[in-house]
Amino acid sequence: MRILLIDNNDSFTRNLEHLLVRAVRQACADVRVDVLGHSSMPRKFDSWDMIVISPGPGAPRDYAGYGAVMDSGLPVLGVCLGMQIINVHFGGSVDRLADCVHGKTDTIRYNDRTMSVARYHSLYCSTVGKGLRVAAANDAGVPMIVAHESRPVMGMQFHPESFLTEHGEYFIHDALQRIVRS
Amino acid sequence: MMPCNESFVLEPGRIPDLEAWLVRNGADAFLSSPGFAGETRCLCGLEPLDELVVREDTAREQLKGFAFSGPGPCLGFLSYDYGMLLRGIGTQKQSGFPLGHLRKYALLVEHDCVSGAVSVSGRDSEQVRRTARILSEPGPQRHPGFFPDLGQPVASMDRPSYEHGVRGTLERIRQGWTYQLNLSTRLGWACDCAAHDPAELFLALHASHGAPFYAHFSSGQYRILSTSPELFVRVRNGRVLSRPIKGTLAVPGERVYSVADVDPELVRALTESEKECAELSMIVDLMRNDISANCEYGSVRVENHRSVFVVDNLLQMHADVRGTLCAGRDCLDLFLDAFPGGSVTGCPKASSMRIIDELEPHARGMFCGSLVIIEDERTMDSSIAIRTAVADTKGGTLDYWAGSGIVIDSCPAREYRETMAKAAKFFGAAAKRGSA
Repeated sequence: MRILLIDNNDSFTRNLEHLLVRAVRQACADVRVDVLGHSSMPRKFDSWDMIVISPGPGAPRDYAGYGAVMDSGLPVLGVCLGMQIINVHFGGSVDRLADCVHGKTDTIRYNDRTMSVARYHSLYCSTVGKGLRVAAANDAGVPMIVAHESRPVMGMQFHPESFLTEHGEYFIHDALQRIVRS
Repeated sequence: MMPCNESFVLEPGRIPDLEAWLVRNGADAFLSSPGFAGETRCLCGLEPLDELVVREDTAREQLKGFAFSGPGPCLGFLSYDYGMLLRGIGTQKQSGFPLGHLRKYALLVEHDCVSGAVSVSGRDSEQVRRTARILSEPGPQRHPGFFPDLGQPVASMDRPSYEHGVRGTLERIRQGWTYQLNLSTRLGWACDCAAHDPAELFLALHASHGAPFYAHFSSGQYRILSTSPELFVRVRNGRVLSRPIKGTLAVPGERVYSVADVDPELVRALTESEKECAELSMIVDLMRNDISANCEYGSVRVENHRSVFVVDNLLQMHADVRGTLCAGRDCLDLFLDAFPGGSVTGCPKASSMRIIDELEPHARGMFCGSLVIIEDERTMDSSIAIRTAVADTKGGTLDYWAGSGIVIDSCPAREYRETMAKAAKFFGAAAKRGSA
């Protein structure tokens, strides 16, 4: 499996790369992750089977050019800022979180499991874009996982690649199940 | 390995005399103190054979070519400003301080503070024998370093401007541009280095305030005096260790030297503080990220998270981030891709460094850079140059920087107090006549 990991300005991207390799190797034999900076994003995506949009500083409006990624037809997974970029692309809005959270854990319930996940975010998806549904939220109702109803697109607001997240691989396996094999 | 070697054993109580002789005779000295997390080797270089002064256009391959040209280790430093170049962060600030400086030596002296074992090595057997004889003979007892009163320093950011900087950082956190940012102030003293020998300040501090990464290094007109407690990256035969420190609590009252001497309630107050733990966790994730660029998939792990040690009467929390260097990568690949250390930038790193350049009126220069001992392609030790001063022997100044990590829960007044607590060691030594 060939994954394109788009790096939005150097934010835990290598942690995500290592998690993707570890999790995908558990799910299938062979994996290659290519890390490309946002400013050198390709126009064509024929070389890859999946695109992952990394976390990063700032807000979705600071990162143009993701339309081609969403329209590529490839499975797309967005993490933190990556999820917010997906949300804005589909018409949702992103605003400041009243009590921003960094380097702390929260629990979410997903697929009938309760799990501890790491949060690093000042902004959040205040209204969810068209076609997206909230698959998991925290107790305060902040969307933590969104998935598109008909496209292979998914976002995670928390950081599965953080050492504070209990079952990081689980979330990547789940994404592979839902968006790559859908 | 250097071709000639002479070894002898001193009474451990005479090791300070040996260290004082080396420092007063112009050695580039890397001195550890025993019993600290991160404790490392004591290694001094004498009689420089070759050096590389790092400039803007110094390529990675030049650094490697110099550092890995055996025999014998290479000692030196890379400044925070060099780290800005590596990360593509432009600045308008001018600093005459070198971007980095590496040296190879004709003579190396390594010693162990606990056993008293001393080894002198070099290329010229006569020079090695002569130096070993001088160092092993009973000499005058070391007198404590004497450093006259310099008075009060001038701060680049005084209390109001530092607290204003903290508030500016908090707004950028709310905007999403940084999660944590290390904000510093520079304290400057006028200092006639002929009357105030920086080596004596270094020796006085080393005698009274042990820490694992002391270094005294000369670079042109500058003398670097580092009393750092923080390991940046260590590579031993390809095994990587980084030990970020975040979370600080001052221990009130008497001097303490180990966690066992501290009220357990105070230790608990640090290790169970949501704010302090979040600070450490963020930097642990950042260090995992930074070493992952050159470590094997699946090898990067976190151990001893929220461990505590005491240095300078401060409780400090840390964690161990370990990994295995990829085949085909060397310790300078690892170092340069991870530099400067995340605990002194904040994260995300590049974005935080841009904000630091905007908020701080001073250049950091040596502060938050690294002092390094490079043995070979897969063996090195490096510290983070915090608790570090730079004496400018021509300009007649002594500069010291102190900072703290700002997170969303930070209180501006408290962060200023923490910053000044970290500066207390130098304040104390430089403000008291005849410190010991």
